Amino acid sequence: MGTNSGATAGINNKPVGGAAVLGVGVANSAILTNSLGSGGGGGLSISGLGGQNANVGGLVGGMGGAGGGTGNNGSDDSMGGPGGGPNNQQATTPQYTIPGILHFIQHEWSRFELERSQWDVDRAELQARIAMLLGERKCLESLKSDLTRRIKMLEYALRQERAKFYRLKYGTDPPQLNEFKPSSNDDGGIGTDVATDSEVPYSSVSNTTWRQGRQMLRQYLAEIGYTDNIIDVRSNRVRSILGLNNNADHDGVGGGGGGGGNAGGIGSGGENLSPNINGNESNKRASESEGRHTPAKKVQQSNDAIILDTEAAVMANFEFLGPTEMSDDDEISDDLEMVATDNEDTDVKMAKRPKSGKDMLTEDLEAEVGEQLLNDMNLITEEVDGSLGLGELAQLTVNNESDGAYDANAKDGTGGSAGGAGYRKTWNAKYTLRSHFDGVRSLIFHPEEPVLITASEDNTLKLWNLQKTVQAKKSASLDVEPLYTFRAHTGPVLCLGMSSSGETCYSGGLDGNIECWQLPSPNIDPYDCYDPNVHSGTLEGHTDAVWGLTTMQNNIVSCSADGTVKLWSPYTKEPLLRTYTAAEAEGGPSSVDFVRNEVDHIVVAYNSAHCIIYDTETGKQVIKLEASQEMSGNTGKFINKVVSHPTLPITITAHEDRHIRFWDNTSGTLVHSMVAHLEPVTSLAVDAHGLYLLSGSHDCSIRLWNLDNKTCVQEITAHRKKFDESIFDVAFHATKPYIASAGADGLAKVFV
Amino acid sequence: MKMADGSTILRRNRPGTKSKDFCRWPDEPLEEMDSTLAVQQYIQQMIKRDPSNVELILTMPEAQDEGVWKYEHLRQFCMELNGLAVRLQKQCSPSTCTQMTATDQWIFLCAAHKTPKECPAIDYTRHTLDGAACLLNSNKYFPSSVTLNHRVSIKESSVTKLGSVCRRVYRIFSHAYFHHRRIFDEFEAETYLCHRFTHFVTKYNLMSKENLIVPINEEENAAPGESEA
Repeated sequence: MGTNSGATAGINNKPVGGAAVLGVGVANSAILTNSLGSGGGGGLSISGLGGQNANVGGLVGGMGGAGGGTGNNGSDDSMGGPGGGPNNQQATTPQYTIPGILHFIQHEWSRFELERSQWDVDRAELQARIAMLLGERKCLESLKSDLTRRIKMLEYALRQERAKFYRLKYGTDPPQLNEFKPSSNDDGGIGTDVATDSEVPYSSVSNTTWRQGRQMLRQYLAEIGYTDNIIDVRSNRVRSILGLNNNADHDGVGGGGGGGGNAGGIGSGGENLSPNINGNESNKRASESEGRHTPAKKVQQSNDAIILDTEAAVMANFEFLGPTEMSDDDEISDDLEMVATDNEDTDVKMAKRPKSGKDMLTEDLEAEVGEQLLNDMNLITEEVDGSLGLGELAQLTVNNESDGAYDANAKDGTGGSAGGAGYRKTWNAKYTLRSHFDGVRSLIFHPEEPVLITASEDNTLKLWNLQKTVQAKKSASLDVEPLYTFRAHTGPVLCLGMSSSGETCYSGGLDGNIECWQLPSPNIDPYDCYDPNVHSGTLEGHTDAVWGLTTMQNNIVSCSADGTVKLWSPYTKEPLLRTYTAAEAEGGPSSVDFVRNEVDHIVVAYNSAHCIIYDTETGKQVIKLEASQEMSGNTGKFINKVVSHPTLPITITAHEDRHIRFWDNTSGTLVHSMVAHLEPVTSLAVDAHGLYLLSGSHDCSIRLWNLDNKTCVQEITAHRKKFDESIFDVAFHATKPYIASAGADGLAKVFV
Repeated sequence: MKMADGSTILRRNRPGTKSKDFCRWPDEPLEEMDSTLAVQQYIQQMIKRDPSNVELILTMPEAQDEGVWKYEHLRQFCMELNGLAVRLQKQCSPSTCTQMTATDQWIFLCAAHKTPKECPAIDYTRHTLDGAACLLNSNKYFPSSVTLNHRVSIKESSVTKLGSVCRRVYRIFSHAYFHHRRIFDEFEAETYLCHRFTHFVTKYNLMSKENLIVPINEEENAAPGESEA
């Protein structure tokens, strides 16, 4: 047994010295020593066992170890040692050797280690995936709440805009409050519930107007290329993101509505009518107590609150306006049109409004409401849970069917309101006239050719031919290069007139002179030789800036800051025919025009905000245009421009107080008055047929009005501001479809 | 705060404003100008305040892009040069000044044409101003965004154009000075334009010194009498 113990010692040594990896090596050495052992039994380590059996056992054990011997490795007997080995039957029971077993254990251990590390890797991977999904979910959630907020903001903005336009168009409050009755089919449970329970006339209406708002939003989106399909796909996507389906939506809404039937919910609903945050807070409390369905209800309520807030704000805004003058049937369609035409300006205007100091009060109100609205939204979105957002989104799509009908109606309405014309032209900026160094004060078209002249504060006039263009880079609009520059004024040029033949043009300047020009050919080379005959005369007589100039046949009439209005017949021996001076109380004249449907009459606007019509022959005042009550206290009603209707005895005035007013020349009374722009109206032009009126304002936009029903047909933002001025002049081409605007930014634009 | 100011001061020239009241409003600090044409407004405001204080007018506000600053000033020069052109038109005819000259050293060719031409002085003047107006208003070289705010800059290739505009435009001064001295003096007394221009091109290194042939008061006070041609 000495060998045995030696072997044991050897074995005992082995695991210590050899690592698990050496296991195979051990088996090999066993085999190796086996063959050596038959040769004469060396004293080498394991194989020092001697006897054949032991050798075989060692071999088998080694084999078992190498093969991962499954069966009997656990039995102590076989572990018993090589001493017992020779007694066992070799064929049936494999011989286990200590080194084999140890080797096996080592191997197993390493396998387990390997697997464990594999699991660790897997776990880490899964954890990462979980984190990622969580992040994704969070992202989607915030996206969703953001979208919700956007929807609300858009709705709010639309509402405000609609109200604004309504006000501008009719000069009265928007009448939606009374005009629309909800059709019972369309209304969800909410509307009716609230209406019956809390005696609130607004709620159902606001539901309708809300839908209307949504409709408008849809149109808006359609305009920018969002078809209904896309919208639907999107909302479906959003819903699938939320992991809910349509049915759930309906249930959510219905449930919310049903929840509203409970006393608590209604109580809070009633409170929401007063536009303050308290209402919402009580709402929150109610929703907390009401469990799962209430959040949907709450959105609804908050929406109502927002709508009511908005309406309250609108009401407050319009309180200063007079009583209702008219309300058209096609109001909806008009509103839609205006939204359609104006959408790109909305932001600009909203951003700009705070600048106009006059409206501070209303502005503050608006700002306040806006802020409050934001608060409300935050309140909502902060606690957004699945069902809440859902209620919102469901609202967006549930009413699809009714929308279709609505669309059709709207379209019919539009067709009708277009004055039976069937189609309507939309004006687009086509030509940009850039060459002036400073504001363009005035512009006038040639009566026949696509040619116009601009007059600028840079002391020059320029002649432009719209047929000689340069393609501007990267845009659809064309740049026009000026053909000729008229230089004679020594100060800013303020006004322009053109003879009916289009051969002669007149300009009045800050220097007090009226210059007469023979128009060069519209095909002249811009860098031709100087022809002194283009400047064909100066009418001297005014002692201060000439601000207004207009022509009729061969005569021109001008008004000046020297307080006089002068009638001229240029190119005659005594060009100055007559001077008209008003009473001191009227102040200086600001604008002048010939009365177009009456020979020998001129109409002059004075600083007093009155217009006086003179007979040019007698020099006597014919009539004074003044409205007894409206014009009392004329501060701020300053007239920037007066024009005469080409065919009717009507005078139109543009005022500093943002109004355009229409006067009857025969009775001298005010016929119509409307808020036309967001800032002072500076310029007016009537087309040759007397159907359309064009107005320009310091709010940077020009507006086209249908003179028949005094509605705004189109608004175009055309120029930028310099100091507090923006648009100085607008004009119609007499025979071609061109309109033009001139701005303080030194540009003139022509629209086709 | 700011809104309150805006409600009291509206910087507008309403129709009927007397010429002495034109643009007569309190100065607006550059920081408060939210218009897109702030730099032009600022420059014009400084000129209005005191046209003779050339140094102050040319002092660039902090945080101002130099390219835009030079560009806006050059626009203003070309604009005011219209005033000189108007005066020259009355006296400088193709028959009296057949060529664009200052001293007898050079005849300037008009660059407005495809091949530079020997235009009469008045044509040269008009063509140069018209060409400058087109170039400086060109949407290609000076897209309108350059004046949008103080930070936007003008691309380098366009800035180099300013130098050649300066050179050409300066010849109008020199022609007026050497051939229509009375007109030049009257105009200069009113506007200090040549004075300002000389300072401008020197300060921003837009023209070389030897090309600045019109003496301005500071350097040669009352000396230039002898050079009248």
